[in-house]
Amino acid sequence: MEILIQQFVNALSLGGTYALLALGLAMVFSVLGLINFAHGDLMTLTGYAMFFAIGAGLGMPLAVVLGIACATLAAVAMERVAFRPVRDANTATMLLTSLAVSTILHMLFQNLISARPRAIPVPSWMIGAVDVGGLAIGVIQLMSITATALLLIALSIFLRRSTLGIAMRAAALDFPVTRLMGINANAVVATAFGLSGLLAGVAGVLWLAQRGSVDPLMGFLPVLKAFIAVVLGGLGSLAGAVVGGFVLAFIEVFLRAFLPDGWLPFRESITLTLVIVLLLVRPEGLIGQRENVR
Amino acid sequence: MNQVSTTRIAAVAAGLMVAGGTAQGDSHGITIGYAGGFTGYLAPYDQPSLNGVQLALDQINAAGGIMGMTVELIVKDTRSDTAQASVVAQELVDDGVVAMIVSCDVDPAVASGVMAQVAEIPSASSCASTPTLPAAVGPYMFSNYTADNLQGAVLAEYARGQGYENAYILLSRDTPYTEKLPEYFGEAFEAMGGTVVAVGEYTMGQQDFSAEVTNIGGLDPSPDVIQTSAYEPDFPAFIKQLRAAGIDTPVLGSDGIDSPTTFSLGDVAEGVVFSNAGFASPGSALEAFEMAFEEKYGTPNDTVFTATGYDLMMVIAAAIEAAGSTDGPAIRDAWDNLENVQVATGSITYKDQNRVPVRVVALNQVSGGERVHVGDFSPDPSMIPAP
Amino acid sequence: MNNGPEHLLDVAGLEVRYGAIEAIRGAGLEVCKGEIVALLGANGAGKSSFLNAIMGLVPLTSGRVLLDGEDIAGEAPEAIVRRGMTLCPEGRRVFANLTVRENLAIGGATRRRAGDAATILTGMLDRFPVLAERHDQMAGTLSGGEQQMLAIARAMMSAPRIVLLDEPSLGLAPRIVDTIFEMIAALQHHGATILLVEQNVDLALDIADRGYVLASGRVALAGPASELLASGDVERAYMGRD
Ligand SMILES: Nc1ncnc2c1ncn2[C@@H]1O[C@H](COP(=O)(O)OP(=O)(O)OP(=O)(O)O)[C@@H](O)[C@H]1O
Ligand SMILES: [Mg+2]
Repeated sequence: MEILIQQFVNALSLGGTYALLALGLAMVFSVLGLINFAHGDLMTLTGYAMFFAIGAGLGMPLAVVLGIACATLAAVAMERVAFRPVRDANTATMLLTSLAVSTILHMLFQNLISARPRAIPVPSWMIGAVDVGGLAIGVIQLMSITATALLLIALSIFLRRSTLGIAMRAAALDFPVTRLMGINANAVVATAFGLSGLLAGVAGVLWLAQRGSVDPLMGFLPVLKAFIAVVLGGLGSLAGAVVGGFVLAFIEVFLRAFLPDGWLPFRESITLTLVIVLLLVRPEGLIGQRENVR
Repeated sequence: MNQVSTTRIAAVAAGLMVAGGTAQGDSHGITIGYAGGFTGYLAPYDQPSLNGVQLALDQINAAGGIMGMTVELIVKDTRSDTAQASVVAQELVDDGVVAMIVSCDVDPAVASGVMAQVAEIPSASSCASTPTLPAAVGPYMFSNYTADNLQGAVLAEYARGQGYENAYILLSRDTPYTEKLPEYFGEAFEAMGGTVVAVGEYTMGQQDFSAEVTNIGGLDPSPDVIQTSAYEPDFPAFIKQLRAAGIDTPVLGSDGIDSPTTFSLGDVAEGVVFSNAGFASPGSALEAFEMAFEEKYGTPNDTVFTATGYDLMMVIAAAIEAAGSTDGPAIRDAWDNLENVQVATGSITYKDQNRVPVRVVALNQVSGGERVHVGDFSPDPSMIPAP
Repeated sequence: MNNGPEHLLDVAGLEVRYGAIEAIRGAGLEVCKGEIVALLGANGAGKSSFLNAIMGLVPLTSGRVLLDGEDIAGEAPEAIVRRGMTLCPEGRRVFANLTVRENLAIGGATRRRAGDAATILTGMLDRFPVLAERHDQMAGTLSGGEQQMLAIARAMMSAPRIVLLDEPSLGLAPRIVDTIFEMIAALQHHGATILLVEQNVDLALDIADRGYVLASGRVALAGPASELLASGDVERAYMGRD
């Protein structure tokens, strides 16, 4: 029983990171119809910003702030430079643009910084565990769960209460009509990218705290997971992305924890099979709604 | 330029040259090809290897070249793509290279190696450590790097020497290295009387090891030692989560974790023992190499793949010198009979080894964020698991 | 040009193409302050293209679009809305996953001062009481007629000088259509200027002051609503005489 609760906490913590990433991906997708494959590279940028900040002796808290700020600004810049010129182009063009941005960033990281990983020393207090009712919960896990919860609450307040937030949800449903409300398209798109960068930055910090190093290709796997989560939750649905992230993490953690030994090599295929089965049962995704399809 | 270290390295290089002939006035050069993944996922290995190769080349040419001929390197990027690895290798064959260095990973190495094999040009992977690689391609393919079974055996010997009875191994079937090395370790560990109590599996890049760690905590009997060949980003993530869960079982790693990240992990990595291709003890050739490296590139060396790249270039030079010819079959035969070639990491022997060299395996321990030399090992051949 | 009151909207020589398709071939019209002008035409005549082009939703190839004397051709939709012209699009297009309240709130996004928006909102809820009852309901769960009312109210939230309505009767039961048209007429009484696109000729001309008939992207007929209604030419123009 205790192990079950422990694994539950494990999944919650991993799911939080997936959810943040997926939410950022979904936010951009919902306003532009673009799956931004360079999304994961924003995490990488966070990592390098932290690496250089720590190298300059700025200390961890400042490095974290700089890392997140860097991802946020980079996301906005990415939109301005790369995606705005092709905004009215077809989906394939935008997709290729995002792949190109990602590839260029990889090249720059590999050639200007290093192809080898760069260490990001994590303060030792972050590596401990705290005892919560007989359960050992890692500090990083706790931080991950807390950060996710706070961020999701803040974001949902923003999306429900502020005009820009409502406009973003409206834009996700019908972009042209949102413009007919006098909402500036550029502002909505830039906000979506900025928020996606912020989310990627926070997810990046959590991810980096686990891995302890940054390398040029670090963003690839997380963006893949986030993509699966987004599809699972329902393309275009923000709540769906969050739910998809958690569901994916729960499937992964529980398979890894409880599959019998002989089955372990197949855990990834089983995960994907489960995702496909879920999508066959609910083709619109877990939260996706018919209205989105219109 | 730092005269001292240049001289010292030149001496190492010169050691290889004595057997060769003297300069032959005017001669067209010798070309060596390198089909590596300089961009893409292999860049972290092939880029440093290339840096080492180029350093060796500088020294060889400064010392008069091979058989008096200057050596030229043609570098082609496979973009870490297996199909491209064979295309690029064929281009190098067409360019007339006399030997070829291929990628660090098995699949592209085989793809390139086959092209060289067909053209009867000897080739070697810079740092692929799978012992079955040369046999998979044919008589023109060589290994360079410390083989997985060798490292596994050295680690097992060390573990048994520490009195560990029960081992947990953590492997990933994503690459032969992360899968086979722990399996070789387990095989050798059991052959030496130990027991593998459980095998865990992970996916490279998964980051989250909470499920595996929770399982390790619940094992009965609990393991005395954990062996894994996970490397960045998996190893740091794993060991942090392991230690965070209060599990202080000793951990044995392999050369993949020989990286600055490991030494910056702080308390969690304290005491981790890992194998690699050599330790730069004072006065060693490796130390001289490190100095020359920093002088050429302006940054300290941060991985052993530079040194093993350097070693490989030196081995190729030695093979050509020994063959006394740039003819492929002649170089191949000479290479296959090389003995005690002095290189940056120590010495390398190919004779009677089926093209998988015997070279020293060093064990290192992480202590206070520094690397401490545990010792150099060459296990009894009977204790090395068959590939 | 110099006859009658000042034109609030003045469109001339409008051309719109979608690749090889010429949807609008040099059409134009005028709307005066306080008027309801009907723009009629068969399916595919180009009515929506006309509205979308002057709103900046689809690019126009050429033409002049004067709003209160200023040329706004080619401006972005959000800029045009801020200048005081808005469109209630074909098919209602309410934000289905947003509540009625949120739909109205975003409609009033251009009213900078919160007080303004609140005053307009009160006015809208008076005029469309059903929306007050459904305030916290998702717009997607409203009936078709309610959605159309919401769409019109949402457009009116920006307090436009002129509103373009694209087929408000589309897909609605006749009884509901009557209600909607009564509401449109009421809007005019409260001072609104309206360009009304319709297929429902009789109803539209009934509340309109003047009418235009579009056929194959050109204005085939124009005149005061009562004359068009009486003449019977509209049906002929509908068939298109290219
Ligand atoms: N986005 C588009 N791409 C290509 N062709 C279009 C597009 N929109 C409209 N058309 C074409 O332009 C012409 C005019 O269409 P439009 O929608 O303006 O007509 P309409 O008068 O509004 O018709 P309806 O009464 O059916 O709404 C039609 O032939 C239509 O097929
Ligand atoms: Mg229409």
